[in-house]
Amino acid sequence: MTPTTTDAQPDERAERSGHTEPSVRTRGLTRIFGEGDAAVEALKGIDLEIASGELVVILGPSGSGKTTLCNIIGGIDRASDGTVEVAGEDISTEDPGRLSDFRRDHVGFIFQFFNLIPTLTARENVEVIIEMTGRGDKGRVPELLEAVGLGDRVDNFPAQLSGGQQQRVAVARALATDPELLFADEPTGALDLPTGQQILALLQDLNAQGRTVIIVTHNSSVAQIANRVLTLVDGRIESDETNTSPAAAADVTW
Amino acid sequence: MQARTHKTLRDLTRQKAQVIAVAVTIALGVMMYIATAGAYQNLSASYDATYDRLAFADLVASGGDAQAVAQAALDAGASEAISRTQVDPPLLIEDTKLLGRVISVPSGEHPSIDDVDVIDGDYLEDGVTDQVLLERHAAETFAIGPGDTLEVFAADGWATVTIAGVVDSPEYLWPARSRQDILGDPHAFAVVFAPEDAVAAWFAADPNQALALLPNGASDATRDQVSDAMEAAGASSVMTQEEQPSNATLSEDLQGFDQMSKAFPALFLIAAGVAAWVLLTRRILQEKPVIGTLMAAGARRGRVLRHYLGQGLWIGLIGSALGVVLGVLANSAITTAYTGFIGVPDTVIQNYPWMIVAGLSFGAVVGALGALGPSVTASRTAPAAAMRTQGTAKPPGAWSAFVARQTWLPTSGRMALRDLVRSKRRTFATMLGTVLALIMVLTSVGMLTSIMQAIDIQYEEINLEDATVVTQRDTVGADALAEVDGVAAVETTHLGQVTVVGQNGSYATALHGFEPDTRMHGFVGLDGSRVELPAEGILAGQALRDLLDVEAGDTVTLHTEAGDSDVTIAAFLDEPIGTAVYATNATAASALPDAGVDTFALAFDEGADRDGLRSTVTQIDGVVAYQDSRAIIATIDEYLGLFWVFIGVMIVLGTVLALAVMYVTMAVNVVERTGELATLRAAGAPLRRVAGAIATENMLATIVAIPVGLVLGVWSASAFLQTFNDDLFTLELRWAWWTLPAAALGVVLAALISQWPASRQIRKVDIATVVRERAA
Ligand SMILES: Nc1ncnc2c1ncn2[C@@H]1O[C@H](COP(=O)(O)OP(=O)(O)O)[C@@H](O)[C@H]1O
Ligand SMILES: [Mg+2]
Repeated sequence: MTPTTTDAQPDERAERSGHTEPSVRTRGLTRIFGEGDAAVEALKGIDLEIASGELVVILGPSGSGKTTLCNIIGGIDRASDGTVEVAGEDISTEDPGRLSDFRRDHVGFIFQFFNLIPTLTARENVEVIIEMTGRGDKGRVPELLEAVGLGDRVDNFPAQLSGGQQQRVAVARALATDPELLFADEPTGALDLPTGQQILALLQDLNAQGRTVIIVTHNSSVAQIANRVLTLVDGRIESDETNTSPAAAADVTW
Repeated sequence: MQARTHKTLRDLTRQKAQVIAVAVTIALGVMMYIATAGAYQNLSASYDATYDRLAFADLVASGGDAQAVAQAALDAGASEAISRTQVDPPLLIEDTKLLGRVISVPSGEHPSIDDVDVIDGDYLEDGVTDQVLLERHAAETFAIGPGDTLEVFAADGWATVTIAGVVDSPEYLWPARSRQDILGDPHAFAVVFAPEDAVAAWFAADPNQALALLPNGASDATRDQVSDAMEAAGASSVMTQEEQPSNATLSEDLQGFDQMSKAFPALFLIAAGVAAWVLLTRRILQEKPVIGTLMAAGARRGRVLRHYLGQGLWIGLIGSALGVVLGVLANSAITTAYTGFIGVPDTVIQNYPWMIVAGLSFGAVVGALGALGPSVTASRTAPAAAMRTQGTAKPPGAWSAFVARQTWLPTSGRMALRDLVRSKRRTFATMLGTVLALIMVLTSVGMLTSIMQAIDIQYEEINLEDATVVTQRDTVGADALAEVDGVAAVETTHLGQVTVVGQNGSYATALHGFEPDTRMHGFVGLDGSRVELPAEGILAGQALRDLLDVEAGDTVTLHTEAGDSDVTIAAFLDEPIGTAVYATNATAASALPDAGVDTFALAFDEGADRDGLRSTVTQIDGVVAYQDSRAIIATIDEYLGLFWVFIGVMIVLGTVLALAVMYVTMAVNVVERTGELATLRAAGAPLRRVAGAIATENMLATIVAIPVGLVLGVWSASAFLQTFNDDLFTLELRWAWWTLPAAALGVVLAALISQWPASRQIRKVDIATVVRERAA
């Protein structure tokens, strides 16, 4: 089962996947939680560039700062120091309202535990994002769900869907605002192997259509599907490797 | 033990604002209880202190040989009995003629029953005959005091006397000539206590009243025995202390406190219990993993149960302790203000330990009851299930499926509709807060609008005369009165006291005589239609139907000093204030004793100068009394001033109740939905849209509850009003057109205001942290 998305305008996508302009650029990015004795330095100076159209896996042991990095680049957390530029915008100095607009216009999130709204059907979970952000087209929601392989489940509630199906809804929801950057924090963490493979395939597919995809995981097997792997240890980038021949999601096991 | 108490208290400081909101609701309930129940006790005690000190008569007999009646009372078991003379002659005070009341007292020594308290000047010296004591209300109305003079219309003309002192009397704490005159023109009534010898000389009358005191703690049987003996000795009527006009009026007022001390605190305590329930249920849901871990580690169920019950108990105790302190303060403030307003000479302020214990335990019980359900749930959680963070989501029910089909609604609207049913407990609490607030506000406002409208009806449609003038027989004609500038119409009327005797009882009231086609009084039947004055027979206030167990067409006896006459009740009347009987002048004249006076009803021109008319008319020779019908409205307005304060306090408290409960439920809503909110915010939904969606949902529960609250509020107002209905008031629940919409709007506003902290709470949600917690 290899779903395809059909939401991209061909020429626009081509331009984005040009690998020319960096989509993400951080300089001296640090993040300190707490104060005084209790202070934890989660990120200790990250210099990073991610080009448009890359599929990057951020790999590292638990507590190494992956989620923190992903959240700061995605605009839901703030750096303590350093600059963060995403899609040409310096988001490290923006006020909360502007940051909210930034998320609406540029990014989509996929979480480990799906975070679907239990009182809304699959379709409504996607629609509500379009309604509340005012971005995207409600008419395209069935198409989006079709694309993630849920064409026959649009009117089901989360409680009536399996974990993998719920994560598909979450993917469709992340795509609702047509973001150029997709963040997936441990997207397979709550799923079994075959289901996890399917979700990874979906993400790979979305990347193939030109979106920049950033996957956070502690699972080194997942890294095989990326064309670039950043390894984070104790708040620092330990290695940054390019993978010229990424594996197909279906071939990855753990 | 110590450590556990510390932990419980520390736990309470989380969700501090919600805990405070619940505690404040409990505090208000307990405060209202202590304040109103305490005020009731203290006011009763204050009256009792005055009644005791001034030896307020237990029985007052009229008619017959008063000395013989007094002796009969003593023989039958009274501890004390005296006779005295009471006459209602015209008085002239500061150029105003009025129908006053003169009561004989011994000179040189105080009477042993129905004594007076001299508050200014001195008591009557032994042997004086040209000095009197003036009751405080008249002294205040006319602004006169010791050394000033007034005139008494005696058998041989006006007698001038000097005021020796101003006094309080237990019989006139509320100045009322009779049970029918409890709301009168203050310029039309004054009580004068005069030396026995002077009274005897002025009116050539023997004592006509016998007063009796019963031994302390006498039983009802003793009272009836003494009363029967007095009647047997020739008294035509015996009035008990409860029936005494001033006392009856004041204790009716006191009953209000007694009722309030039960109903309103209960509303708050119910609301607080439900808020505590919602709050603790939420907390236990949040702490499920911890509970599971504790239980896996071997903690006993009882321990978990006690822990959460303890939290409820503490919230209750803290709230009620605060309530007790506020209640004690409010109690003494209310008692002092009230005794000051009424003019009760003694003010007893006491705090009753049983009341404080009751207040504290109400709070504790409410807190514990609110915590009971959730605590039991907590103690029953299986450790393994408790540690699983993701609750097992229930599949959607019929409602969700129905809402899903309402595709015309925006998605966020559908979300709000489904959440109403998903969080039944929260929805219920929000609705309950709305309903209770409406009940409280409508009950108090309904009371006020009903009284205001009753007064309107009474003085716009029923009592159409502007003033009543009493003249010496054949001195001033209707024509002379009609010529006075500002007088539009004059009619001859009759007015006198009668006892209406029916099948099953008797009732003392006023008999009014009018011209058959009178324009001075509107007669409104029970069905609201106009009724004509019958050529024969009488019209009677509807309370008589039950009081005497009679129907229209039945014959009753009108008993007066002049004798008995049988009349037919032609119809009953719907009159909001008072219960009187009406007849034609001819019928009234034949039933009433000849008082040697003529009575006239006056109607004024639009915008006439009422004070000017009073002084012009009372200065006409032959006019002996004058009563302005509308002056009563001023008296009532003053009385209603207190009522407005009461309504204001109730509205404020009702609003606080609504705010507190809604705040708790809305805050809990935000806490329960943090994950969803953070997800929406992470996707770039603006704060105002997310807050708006939550607000819509919160407001929906309120709006759904409004019709329920209006219905129950109207019902409760009508039930509350019923408790005030008797022979003095026949109140029907009447609303001003704005009442119900305003109450609904007020609750909606309160709900909107409580959205504000909720949206602040949403603003503070740290998206990154919440998303991380979920993903942990
Ligand atoms: N809100 C926070 N307060 C304090 N410390 C935090 C907070 N969030 C994360 N940390 C700490 O920052 C470090 C990095 O966390 P995180 O980015 O979640 O790592 P990872 O996603 O790689 O497991 C950890 O030591 C974690 O404990
Ligand atoms: Mg992480």
